[in-house]
Amino acid sequence: MRPVSGTVGQAEPVSGTVGQAEPPRVRAEAAEQEPGHRRWAGAILAAGMAVALAAAMISIPREHAALPAVARYALAVALPRWGLTEPVNEIVYGTRGFDTFGETFLLLAAVISVVMITRSREARRGYFGESQAGQREQAQADPVVETGATERAARAAEHREQGGHAPGDPAEPDTPDATALGTPAPETADAMTVVVRTAIRIALPVLAVAGLYLVAWGYSPGGGFPGGAVLVGVLLLVYAGFGRRRISRIVRPALLESIELAGAGAIIMTELLGLLLRGSFSANWLPLAAPRTILSGGIAQLFSASELIEVGTGLAIAVFALIGMGHDWAPDERAGADDPGGER
Amino acid sequence: MILVNYLAAVALLCIGLYAVLTKRNMIKMVMGLSLMEAATYLFMISLAYRAGSTAPVLLSPPPGKSAGDLVHGNVADPVLQNFCLTAVVIGVAVTAVFLSVVVRIAQHYRTLDSDKVRKMRG
Amino acid sequence: MTEAALTSLLPLPVAIPLAGAVTAPLLARLSARLPVIVSVAALTASAAVLLLAAPWVFGGRVIAGYLGHWTPVSGHVLGIAFAADPFGLLLALATAIIGVVLLLYSLSELGGLGPRELGGYACLFQLLLAAVIGAALTADLFNLFVWFEVAALSSYGLAGFFLERPMALEAAFKILVLTTLASFAVFIGAGLLYAETGALNFAQLHDSLARHLTTPDTVALGLLVAGFATKAGLVPFHGWLPDVHTTAPGPVNALFAGPMDGLGILAIGRIVFQVYPAGSTPVLGLLMTFGLVSALLGAIMALAQDDLKRLLAYDTISQVGIIVVGLSASNPAGVAGATYHLVNHALFKALLFLAAGAIVHRTGVTKLSEMGGLARHMPVITAAFLLGAVSIAGLPPFNGYVSLSLIHQGLEQNHDAAAYWLTLAAQVITIAALGRAAWLAFFRRRAGDYEWREQLRPGMLAGLGSLGACCIAFGVAGPALLRTLMAPAAAGLLQPGRYAAGVLSGSARLVTLHITFDYFSPAELVSVAASIVIAAVLGWRYLRIREPRVIGALRALHTGSANDYAAYAIAGTLVAIAVVSLA
Repeated sequence: MRPVSGTVGQAEPVSGTVGQAEPPRVRAEAAEQEPGHRRWAGAILAAGMAVALAAAMISIPREHAALPAVARYALAVALPRWGLTEPVNEIVYGTRGFDTFGETFLLLAAVISVVMITRSREARRGYFGESQAGQREQAQADPVVETGATERAARAAEHREQGGHAPGDPAEPDTPDATALGTPAPETADAMTVVVRTAIRIALPVLAVAGLYLVAWGYSPGGGFPGGAVLVGVLLLVYAGFGRRRISRIVRPALLESIELAGAGAIIMTELLGLLLRGSFSANWLPLAAPRTILSGGIAQLFSASELIEVGTGLAIAVFALIGMGHDWAPDERAGADDPGGER
Repeated sequence: MILVNYLAAVALLCIGLYAVLTKRNMIKMVMGLSLMEAATYLFMISLAYRAGSTAPVLLSPPPGKSAGDLVHGNVADPVLQNFCLTAVVIGVAVTAVFLSVVVRIAQHYRTLDSDKVRKMRG
Repeated sequence: MTEAALTSLLPLPVAIPLAGAVTAPLLARLSARLPVIVSVAALTASAAVLLLAAPWVFGGRVIAGYLGHWTPVSGHVLGIAFAADPFGLLLALATAIIGVVLLLYSLSELGGLGPRELGGYACLFQLLLAAVIGAALTADLFNLFVWFEVAALSSYGLAGFFLERPMALEAAFKILVLTTLASFAVFIGAGLLYAETGALNFAQLHDSLARHLTTPDTVALGLLVAGFATKAGLVPFHGWLPDVHTTAPGPVNALFAGPMDGLGILAIGRIVFQVYPAGSTPVLGLLMTFGLVSALLGAIMALAQDDLKRLLAYDTISQVGIIVVGLSASNPAGVAGATYHLVNHALFKALLFLAAGAIVHRTGVTKLSEMGGLARHMPVITAAFLLGAVSIAGLPPFNGYVSLSLIHQGLEQNHDAAAYWLTLAAQVITIAALGRAAWLAFFRRRAGDYEWREQLRPGMLAGLGSLGACCIAFGVAGPALLRTLMAPAAAGLLQPGRYAAGVLSGSARLVTLHITFDYFSPAELVSVAASIVIAAVLGWRYLRIREPRVIGALRALHTGSANDYAAYAIAGTLVAIAVVSLA
């Protein structure tokens, strides 16, 4: 490993392997002069859009207008028909629950898309002409003739990050607390300093309970979406503070995916039972508990809890799929490309 | 004056739009789209505002009022808050897919410059 | 079955494929092909439920039900309405049935993929199909936006499917940028309409907008049209379409060209015909202009392409332009012809894209200049491609002839000579482009042999065969289908008052439209014959000459940069808003 020089932002060419003619990569990306025609075209179009939208904004009703009749109706049915003191929850999970139903599958589509884009190679049967076309196109797009020292070092670092061992690495300590004092912390440590870790240990239960609280008491503002987001934040906090190995038991793609799909399936069943039991899709079929209790709101509460499961696990899958993405989907199959960690 | 909010949302939208139309760095384009998303959230919530209103929550109404008073009184619009919630989820979902595509492009083409990633032309 | 029970079943065709999508990644762990088999079953069940409603609705009725029993209260609607009018039900049925065919085809062609890949593919495919069916059946603006977004997100994952082709990621990036801009436009438009009218339901919006239109209403119309036109693939919002089609798998191409473009066109039809009062804005003229430009630009660019799938993608833009031209004629013949062409386009474009995808899959060759002599090796695929090509050409007795004649009839009734001749010119250039492609790919002799050739599997034969049979059937049975399916669909679009009454009250009858169609009208037959002759000459000349400067200039405009395509889309949005608001 080359020692890091004192000044930041100055890239030094790799010694020995590249000639004088090749400019350092960092400097080439940093000088971004946008093409002239694009700048004034963009300015004119953005200004035109501003004028068009401002013309509309000036005429729409402002803060003294009356509330629309549908909004009054939503407020009026919240307590008597749903037993909820929170009209926004009643609209989102109850009266217009079908919109949220669609949104659940929107998030599912996004998570599956992220999983597909970040997937690693799998064995295939049969001949796929697209692979042949792809190899030709890849050779044109990325004509690296041989892997230099920089690329090898980068691949070794990624391999180590994924949990592999390059020859010559010291033995990994079992827990972050067992890391010896004085080790070069930022580059090789698995986790953060003891101050951060202690703070996280204290804050973690509070945050987790806060997330569950947001969902449980559906008659106060909250709901499945913010609850799911808080739980993902908790997971990320553990990952950032304690490192990958602590979280790898929970964040397994198979487990999280099953939970997420179970949540989505529960949402479909909740809405479908309305059709079977009450004659209309997304009708309320649970008896209404008294207002201001944890079960008030009928299927709105059930929907919100299933949404928590689906959103929390879905976002976790997406985030960890991005973090754990392999380097290259179709690694070099040519001779001379030594590749300790390119393919998982 | 809520008109200031509306015009601020339009301004933010157009700044984000300028970034999408002009910047070649893909991450900057994604940031421009995020800025446009934030502008739409501001727009929706500002539409929901009514002068001197309370939040549309029937739990623990302000002193001197009951839940029934709030239902017929001066309350902000809850339907638009549903819109905004949906838009936030859409924004998160699209940003996640966007960033995974950008990282893959960076791996394949080893550049974030959208002018260098244009094999398909014409 | 009572009408009330029928309307309560309408959300099922959306929920069943969603359930299939949820189980797909789990089933993939058991066996790679199981998710696709389950998805075929799910889409078949969906089509069955839709067929239950078909006799009622295609007899000239609009039926509507409110989810959760949240019915209108003195004309104000909070709940979400699901309404089956002939136009929406037709698109939903076509989507479900074509979805079954495409999934069976995927089982054969892509059955060798790894389990996780195939599970994800089945999941996203079903999500997109469910979203299109949901959008076709909904009568609520915000619900339409939600299904539009579900379709968009599924399309991103399917566009970047073959990761070994770097261009797939480039295409995924461009569709992301353009569709996200479109979704902002639709969202702000919906918000503006709600602020002005306090309404989300189409019927309530129709009644509220019947008075004088204000600036926010017209700006919202411009934004909504621009947003949905991006999904449909109209010029100048079309930047993503050719790139995405170049690299996607064959069945995904067919899915995008048929159902997904149909979603955009359906949404435009609903907003322009059933929500906004007729004649209050020059939006029909705007759509006619966009349609004619799309038709011509798509045809000309298709003539110049080297990549086979890219050629078909530009042809898709051209056909969508012709559909929108038919819609903008806004008389019974034109609108019925446009609806017919939408269904026909889904059929013959699926046939063409599946054939092209099969060529790429089997030989690994994508460019026309490297292909040749495939007629000897792959006779079935050659037959499928030629069948699709003659259908687009408008030859009787294939399906393109009926729908194009109806559109021409509609344009003649409006005495719109310019649009008529321009549409005819676009058709001639399209025939030339497809003829050139067929010659270069199938009949020309190739220097060497191909690297590898695979045999055709039974599922693929079934898929190509059924699509081809439909192309022939929809052509031969043209007048019958016009009377039973397309005329009610046109009635639904052209009678917005009855549609609105039906949505608010739960049921309404539409006035039957009688569209006279002369199958053997001499003018049409002569124009078809003349088109083919001129196209043959044009194609022959184009094979020999160098690229003309006009085409070179058009190709230079398509720079391939996402910034530039976004700029064209925003310019188109501004034009739409300006035309609709200032006139």
